[in-house]
Amino acid sequence: MHRRNFLQQTSCGFGALALAAMIGQRRGVAAAPLPSPLASPLAARAPHGVAQAKRILFLFMQGGVSQVDSFDPKPVLAERDGQMHAFDDARALANTGQRGGTQRIMKSPWEFSQYGASGTPVSQLFPQIARHVDDLCFVHSMHTDGVAHGPATLFLHCGSTNSVRPSMGAWVTYGLGTENENLPAFVTLAPSSGNGGARNYGSAFLPALYQGTAVGKAGSPAAQATIRNLGDSRRSEPDRRRQFDLLQALNREQLSRHRLRDRSAPSAHSGAAGLDDGLEATIHAYELAWRMQTMAPDVLSLTRETAATLEQYGIGKDPTDNFGRQCLMARRLCEAGVRFVQVTYGDNSANPAWDQHSNLPKHADHARAVDQPIAGLLQDLKQRGLLEDTLVWWGCEFGRTPYAEKNGTGRDHNPGGFTVWLAGGGTRPGMHYGRTDEFGHLAVEDRVHMHDLHATLLHLLGLDHEQLTYRYAGRDFRLTDVHGQVVHSLIRGEK
Amino acid sequence: MESVAVREAFFVGYEMANAMAGSASPAPRRPVSPPSANRQQLCHARLGRGSIAFVAVLLLPLFAHAQPAAPSSLDPMAEEIAFFEKRIRPVLVENCYACHSQQAQRAGKLKGGLRVDDRQAMRRGGESGPAIVPGEIEGSLLISALRYESFRMPPDRKLPEETIRDFERWIRDGAADPRQPTNGDDARETSPPARTAGSHWAYLPPFHSPSPDLLGETLRRARTDIDAYVLAAQRLREIPAVGDADWESIRRRLSFDLRGIPPLSDDSDDPQSGLPDQFERTTDAWLASPRFGERWGRHWLDLARFAESLTLRGFVLPEAWRYRDYVFDYWNEDRPYPEFLREQIAGDLLPCSALPQQQRQRIATTFLALGNTNLEEQDKRQLEMDVVDEQLDVIGKTILAQTIGCARCHDHKFDPIGTRSYYALAGILRNCQTLEHENVSKWLELPLPVDAEFESRLQERESELARLDAEVKAMQVSLKALADGKPAAAAARTRIDLSELPGIVVDDAQARRVGEWKQSTHTTPFLGDGYLHDLDAGKGTKTLTFLPELPRAGTYEVRFAYTPGENRAESVSLIVFSADGEKTIQVNQRLMPPIDGQFISLGRFRFEPAGQSFVIVDTTGSRGHVIADAVQFLAEEELARDRPPSKTATSINGPPSGDAMHKELEARLRETEQRRKSLKQQGPHRPRTMSVREREQAGDCAVHIRGSVHTLGDTVPRGFPDFQGGTVTASITANESGRRELADWLVDRDNPLTYRVLANRLWKGVMGEGLVRTTENFGTTGDVPSHPELLDRLALWIGQEAATPKLVVRRLVLSSTYRIATDNSPAGAQFDPENRLRWRMPRKRLDAESLLNRMLIAADAIDWRYGGSTLPSGLTEDYGYEPRGSRRAEYWPVFRNALPDLFEAFDFADPSVPVGRRDESTVATQALAMLNHSLVVDLAHQTALRTMQSSSPSRGPSDRGELDALYERILGRAPTDAERRGVDDFLAASSEESPIERWAAVVQSLFASIDFRYLE
Repeated sequence: MHRRNFLQQTSCGFGALALAAMIGQRRGVAAAPLPSPLASPLAARAPHGVAQAKRILFLFMQGGVSQVDSFDPKPVLAERDGQMHAFDDARALANTGQRGGTQRIMKSPWEFSQYGASGTPVSQLFPQIARHVDDLCFVHSMHTDGVAHGPATLFLHCGSTNSVRPSMGAWVTYGLGTENENLPAFVTLAPSSGNGGARNYGSAFLPALYQGTAVGKAGSPAAQATIRNLGDSRRSEPDRRRQFDLLQALNREQLSRHRLRDRSAPSAHSGAAGLDDGLEATIHAYELAWRMQTMAPDVLSLTRETAATLEQYGIGKDPTDNFGRQCLMARRLCEAGVRFVQVTYGDNSANPAWDQHSNLPKHADHARAVDQPIAGLLQDLKQRGLLEDTLVWWGCEFGRTPYAEKNGTGRDHNPGGFTVWLAGGGTRPGMHYGRTDEFGHLAVEDRVHMHDLHATLLHLLGLDHEQLTYRYAGRDFRLTDVHGQVVHSLIRGEK
Repeated sequence: MESVAVREAFFVGYEMANAMAGSASPAPRRPVSPPSANRQQLCHARLGRGSIAFVAVLLLPLFAHAQPAAPSSLDPMAEEIAFFEKRIRPVLVENCYACHSQQAQRAGKLKGGLRVDDRQAMRRGGESGPAIVPGEIEGSLLISALRYESFRMPPDRKLPEETIRDFERWIRDGAADPRQPTNGDDARETSPPARTAGSHWAYLPPFHSPSPDLLGETLRRARTDIDAYVLAAQRLREIPAVGDADWESIRRRLSFDLRGIPPLSDDSDDPQSGLPDQFERTTDAWLASPRFGERWGRHWLDLARFAESLTLRGFVLPEAWRYRDYVFDYWNEDRPYPEFLREQIAGDLLPCSALPQQQRQRIATTFLALGNTNLEEQDKRQLEMDVVDEQLDVIGKTILAQTIGCARCHDHKFDPIGTRSYYALAGILRNCQTLEHENVSKWLELPLPVDAEFESRLQERESELARLDAEVKAMQVSLKALADGKPAAAAARTRIDLSELPGIVVDDAQARRVGEWKQSTHTTPFLGDGYLHDLDAGKGTKTLTFLPELPRAGTYEVRFAYTPGENRAESVSLIVFSADGEKTIQVNQRLMPPIDGQFISLGRFRFEPAGQSFVIVDTTGSRGHVIADAVQFLAEEELARDRPPSKTATSINGPPSGDAMHKELEARLRETEQRRKSLKQQGPHRPRTMSVREREQAGDCAVHIRGSVHTLGDTVPRGFPDFQGGTVTASITANESGRRELADWLVDRDNPLTYRVLANRLWKGVMGEGLVRTTENFGTTGDVPSHPELLDRLALWIGQEAATPKLVVRRLVLSSTYRIATDNSPAGAQFDPENRLRWRMPRKRLDAESLLNRMLIAADAIDWRYGGSTLPSGLTEDYGYEPRGSRRAEYWPVFRNALPDLFEAFDFADPSVPVGRRDESTVATQALAMLNHSLVVDLAHQTALRTMQSSSPSRGPSDRGELDALYERILGRAPTDAERRGVDDFLAASSEESPIERWAAVVQSLFASIDFRYLE
């Protein structure tokens, strides 16, 4: 082969091809097939049933937001503030098996007002989110497993308090592939390294390619967040291009030598079937990496957003800048076709952000940091039509007790009853589902276990949680183990 | 279906093969793996001695990803029963059995004469009549009770509407219920096991069959008896193996397979010797090198889910490295496999003679303690069973290739392992302690036995420390007595300013109050403007919360200040909330506070700035006035500093007459404390290892119904599964856990699994793919062996003839099967694309460690030291750890929250679960790492530098010598003409000024190229 041809074949024209593929792949538009004959394990796959949502955007409020101070008001707390009352405290139950310990009822320091056509009560903590209540679908009767952060956080993400299991994002990616192969299929923004850390976005026994890609980490500024190994700034762009072309030229030469030795292999069109030893896939992976390297920084960069948009998210001012950036990045990722995006508001400590054991009023600091960004995100998604097929999920690993912890000035963990809300992606707007008891302690009506929520979220994506299985070590595993029921009442058009 | 399976089958019993080859026409050619979606029965029967050894359906495609068999639709009730199992039975077990079961009856707790734990009892009902009438919702008492209309059941909480609807549906549809009437002792809540599975190949003893006779070409090709099995099967299917690989390829393959590294420039074997046994010489040299243990030990570490930290809070396991070294040593030492297993299961209980053996056996038990446990679980009974479950899971998969864990909640659905067998095994492991419980439990680090001389030095130091401790304590007591004995009336001061005190002090004035507290200045001295008391009233309704602003994370001593007195409470609860949870300390406020007459220490606690860090004063249960003056937080360095001369204490408490004595005592105390501290720091330190220990009381374990620690069934005597669905009770030495017996059972020469599993792993390690591809699952849902007789042959060799693993590896690599090329062949590609007949060597991909090692070696940067801890000293959590260094990759810390990027990208084994076969993914993150990771870039630069240094530097592009040197160093071969031209073009076009940088780019491209990652 002539030297010039050799290099040309692998480099020239490649950029244009990549660009076409990249554009074609956005938002699930029927894409021009990639130049490679290999089907990617991340290629978009049809769901089991009708998909109302194409992707999930999970806003994780790490540490446990108090339901009775946010979205589940209980007047009796004010009426009986300071009185002692018997409660089955989850921690006491786990530690000692004892029920009915006496606890001091503690009223909410925040006032509630009614919002929207639905007249939804929201506390002073979330005045901005409150303006969107008619778009939200509340579940007030959540309950879950695990009293401590570690177990409950793992349960929230992986459906198990202790055993090593794939995270929900990994399951979703495994089930549906991605809409844009030039980006990671599952992105977690600013994940916490505490309370299960990487296991909360890991793939466990699912193939590694389904694990979440971390962008930034809890505790570091969102403005610096990026995907690891995305670029080597030490070399100039043309030099990097040249080096990449050299690499692919070497790869093709080496591949052709190997295939020459395999000359007796069946004809080229069944080449992959004859000897699938990963060589072509390796070359393909480099092409993909190159495109990702080109595209991802652009998706993560906020420079092309208008000042109005930045303002909408509270970017550029305290205390909303950081979380605002993360929310805006999340929208950009959703827009670009990422299947599962998680944004964590938390930190790396054993008592993350919302964990107000001793000082409940501190909830207000956290609420101020997230309220406007979330409201901005909802508005932005709606304006762009993205809320139609993006399922937004706001929630935490558990709620908090309506009584004072140890008779002090904070609230302890409460896995027995708490609130999450969903928006878009086929959920029923303005819905209030389930109820906690008069104190807001335990879910008593239409109880929704975390397994049920998982099943429902998968259902909205068109996935049957009982069919989404993976055979590992002789057994079929699923996100919901042997549990989980879809809560159809939460779904628009279903009953 | 079965007849199809039999028709599809073909036979490889070698005698039959010979017979067929000699007389009849060969077996019909079909694809080796018929892609039938249905589950096929394996027929692995022995048809009489000496005639046909095995009739096996070879190579059935039970893919790891296959869907399970659909539930039989033949049973008309199948769906209803499934509904019962899923929606009804769990609810009954969880909510009703406590009062309405045979268990409750035996315990005398049966309520209303009603049992709902078998079909008939439920229909017969209790004192109020039948609980259910199938088909009649309204006539079923159970429903009205669940609705809280007649009875209110369960009494503590109404079940969710959904569940009640399930019961209605169940009764409406006929109340299907597979539960047999219970009588006698068999009241356990499990279903019968997979009854037929006992005849599954893996549970039958390995069978000895002589190696097949070979003829003609196949005979010429065979080098060892292993080849005879492989070649006979190939001849039968008329899929001949491709030819041998060339010498350079095979030498490189051997080097990576045995040592995890490429051939080295200073290897002492002489590849060009031309001796007929050169390959054997090279093999023996490399098997004898310590690099062998590092490579093959790492395979075992994958199975042992070896790691040096826990995911939870990133706790670093500082002593885990000893186990890694133990495993490397084992593979280098060439000892029998049973010893290796025995040591890991029960090393602490085994007799031993020499000290090194004693140490080794103790370290080996780290195997049991390496689980990635959630120490924070609040229900400690649950936690203990989780630990046992994890240990059983690892033992099952790693040693037996069995999924024992499935039987925790119900009898195994596919394999003959019942729930009783599970708890028979669990009983053994539950008798051994793995954790020490606290709010956040802790793993055990036990002292390692040491030699007499060292022991005496250790004891000397320890007794000296004990003496100093006693001395300090005595002096503190005398100081206190001195202070107590004198009335405080002569106190020079009544008030101590907060600014005089070191550390963070939270005054009572800043505390958050619940309930009525009164300020007082009655008793002096106090800190700040006074102190608070609870008026000795409203006990249990009042608290104070002291919230410090701690500047940074770390360990602090927490001290509480109060003014003592006769009317004070004798027992005040102080609750300290730290990063490790909460701890309650009782304080007697009638006594003088021991520190300067002001403070009492509540202990040392770890705090995180954003985490919970506060102290609550709780009046519950106290009698007398509860006093709170201040809480002080002292960081470690503040404690370490000499305490400031405590003027305060003396001036307040010390009357003039005692002053001198007091002062002197204090000085002596300080000096003794100093000595104690330095002795503690300097050593010698007693070496410790992660381990387990026997509990004081050994006993059996009860069946945990549906895996719940709160619903116990019968107690099961400790024992082992017989793999026929039953359990063999073990005879266990009194007061022992049974771990020794467990180890004996595992390594029993007649155990059908242990040696087959190892043989398969060794084959996998050498050949790239197992004879049974599901290396952790030899159960009925697993793969079947491609060459059953060969697998048995190897298993018998290890189990009956005590061949060591290293010896087996040696025999495998010396086979012809190992030496063939990776070339394709038309027959092979068409009829056996999965290469189960081993007609070619699969193209192996370097794993993460080999890839990293290869780059380190190319850059001349590798550090060959053997063993030892590689953790940064003093590291307590793994978050954000950035691995760097030049030790070979097998020594890089395995941190569960901070695996090296390259490990993560290149499919390193998940260090939380046993892995016998790593994933082999080809994804963009790998490409990104090779293109951009700083370590790759740095090593490329170093490699370029080294190459330029050792050959004549040149700026010209076509310097043959330079490029040849580079290729030789990196790929171990010369560049092809096309490659040479490609590099020349690149060098000519590059705008990079520095020649080293230009060459570094070339090096990096070679690192990233196919030939660097794939072996021929």
